[in-house]
Amino acid sequence: MTRATNAGIGVTRYLQVYTVLSQALAEGDIAAGEALPSEPSLVRQYGVSRTTVRRALARLAAERCIVRRRGSGTFARDSVTKSASARQIAAILDDPRSASNNTTVRVLELKQTPVPDFLHREWPEFGATVMTIRKVQYVEHQPVALVTAYVPEEVGRQLTARRLGNDTVLTALDKLGFHGAVVEEEASAVAADPVTAKHLDYNVGSPVLQMRHLARDAHGRILSHANYLYRPDRYEIHTVVERDRNRRGRQAFRL
Amino acid sequence: MTPRTTHRTNKSKPVRGTEVRGRRNDKGVARYYLLYEYLSGALNDGTIPAGAALPSEPTLVSSYKLSRTTVRRALARLEGEGRIVRRRGSGTFARQNRTPPRLHLNLHDFFADAASLASKMASTILRFEFGPVPASLRELQPQLGQQSLIIQRVHRSHGSPYMLTTAYVPEQLGRKIRKSAVSRNSLLTVLEQLGPRITTTEYTASAIAADAVAAKRLDVPLGAPLLRTRAVLTIERDQLCAVIDSACRPDRFNVRAELERNGGRNSNSGWHLKRT
Repeated sequence: MTRATNAGIGVTRYLQVYTVLSQALAEGDIAAGEALPSEPSLVRQYGVSRTTVRRALARLAAERCIVRRRGSGTFARDSVTKSASARQIAAILDDPRSASNNTTVRVLELKQTPVPDFLHREWPEFGATVMTIRKVQYVEHQPVALVTAYVPEEVGRQLTARRLGNDTVLTALDKLGFHGAVVEEEASAVAADPVTAKHLDYNVGSPVLQMRHLARDAHGRILSHANYLYRPDRYEIHTVVERDRNRRGRQAFRL
Repeated sequence: MTPRTTHRTNKSKPVRGTEVRGRRNDKGVARYYLLYEYLSGALNDGTIPAGAALPSEPTLVSSYKLSRTTVRRALARLEGEGRIVRRRGSGTFARQNRTPPRLHLNLHDFFADAASLASKMASTILRFEFGPVPASLRELQPQLGQQSLIIQRVHRSHGSPYMLTTAYVPEQLGRKIRKSAVSRNSLLTVLEQLGPRITTTEYTASAIAADAVAAKRLDVPLGAPLLRTRAVLTIERDQLCAVIDSACRPDRFNVRAELERNGGRNSNSGWHLKRT
């Protein structure tokens, strides 16, 4: 059975086809200069109409990712170059010393709000009111992450947009005397919703790397919960796990 | 015939039987699959609640006008997915867990966890052959050479697909790997049985849109978001043993890590994975 695309992830079919093809081009699965599958074979492979395939190809052509040669087919352009590889950007974000030089932060929101339901259910110790922080992280003026963080009221009371500056929430809390000691984190993937897509200058429905974490101090008190949504073409998480327990597993770590 | 265990679905919706028969002509779908889909929907939406009995086989046969073989095939599939349990002499019952449980890989305990995860999942080998290494990967891992052993597998638990993995093993080491060993164990275990003690994993997590192959194997729509991971297994970060790329269903599989702060009070002193 050929699996057709469907509207289950809430985006149009042409966008789904566009996303998959542009990913294959960016990853080098379709190498520079190489021919793309023909229109009829894309129709078969993705279970969509010819119109849908053409629309996706037209957009890739407009973005100069492919070139269509009459009579001979569609080819990946030679000049498909990523602006900066995810790895390079990760290195910038992960190095706390260089963070302020290359990364900038735009705070969208910083205010007291009632605790969201999911947070209250899982960690009642957040209390009834939290500081909610929403911000966008940029690397070299390109949006990389949309961050939503919650800080218990008594911990985050003194946080201001100015105090936050370009710092991470944990670094800002550190300066206020709340020292993070342990972080639990979980990586997942979600489709970009319209708000995320807007802030990350990305397509609705495209895959986004999601990282959630919970930070506690040395006494087990919760300092923050944060949800990071990263553009996967600009960011990846890199961890080195060493088996020998006497040595430290290192994680390139960004907050 | 009066079934011993009746459920309201078989009385209140006799019209479904007509649908099951009629739709086959419309769409050319196997009859068993239509019954499977119907029962699957009833289990999902709670029409047949957890613990309740399903209509008996004879009831399903008579109300849907299907052969006993067809009914058994549909039930066998549900049973294979862990969604019903058949008890000899007393009938067929809906199981508690209808959604497959989430599984996690704990990075801070990677070497123990990778093996224990493998024991929770059954894998089907899709490819096991020597083939060219994709250019983009060869660039990052020149030690793989032009050609490597490529092992592609889909990993399932509770009958549901969790992840699609593609492993690349350098040719010389790959020649020693037997397909039968891979079907039962994690690649990490297989490699270690061959000798090299892997000391380091460089692990990368990202997100990717499901392409046609992943969509089919993981039973998700084309373009659906997947968690993508790459594990580079080495000896002392020097000798490459394998690169394992995975595309994981994010609703079923996540990667976790616990971090501790390095010594010193300054947050800029960095973090390390929790020692276990």
